[in-house]
Amino acid sequence: MKEDPSEKSLKKMWRYAEKFAEKSGTHLHPQREITEAVVLGLADNIDNYGRPICPCNFYPEKDEEGNFAEGMYLPKDEEAKRRDWICACDEMQVYKYCHCLLFVNEDGLPITEHLPEDHEGREIYGLIEDPTPDKGRALGKVQEKNKKID
Amino acid sequence: MAETPEVTDDTWESAVLKSETPVLVDFWAPWCGPCRMVAPIVEELGEEYAGKVNFYKMNTDENPTIPTEFEIRSIPTLMIFEGGDLKSRIVGFRPKSDLKKRLEEAIGPSA
Repeated sequence: MKEDPSEKSLKKMWRYAEKFAEKSGTHLHPQREITEAVVLGLADNIDNYGRPICPCNFYPEKDEEGNFAEGMYLPKDEEAKRRDWICACDEMQVYKYCHCLLFVNEDGLPITEHLPEDHEGREIYGLIEDPTPDKGRALGKVQEKNKKID
Repeated sequence: MAETPEVTDDTWESAVLKSETPVLVDFWAPWCGPCRMVAPIVEELGEEYAGKVNFYKMNTDENPTIPTEFEIRSIPTLMIFEGGDLKSRIVGFRPKSDLKKRLEEAIGPSA
């Protein structure tokens, strides 16, 4: 049985999740236990790695010489040094898609409208429209603007 | 509802690769929200397919070797094996009807 993360990190992640949901025009999952699990995982990663790395991925471990498998996500201490899977992750910031189901629509489904058509999120959930396209996707909007300038 | 038994890095070969019965493995982690939604569905399927398919779950936090070997990225990931061969890989939460369909596609309608 895993030990619970610190009260400080838990409070920090609850506050963050609630604020980010509001800012991005999404909702926390209607099944409270789903959100609780994800927040616990994020808080635990803050305690152990310094950053709220997504708990819905597998991160390989380093071997005794510090090597790790290629073609996969990085070990957690390496992921903590880059932005990709730190909540809110790049997928959320670009596509408004949360595969961990922390930031979802009112029905508890992740938004898939902005995903590339061949993304696994489209295969799993089909097309889930963004009810608040004016909110969120800060990185996605910057990328779209830059494309127009090019 | 009977809880799905755990398979580990150490028991993988005997439980999965050498199984004469098809096997479905649910790769999960304790603090993954969608894993908690998939788990009860896997338990129900385990009862429905008892004797035809063996069901296991693997905690990826405690067993890093097999998930690394199979290059798992997102969890939950479900894998179906038959005769030691990987027949199907299913990433993310799916409703029960989808999982049944994928299971029967992988190992035939007699399952």
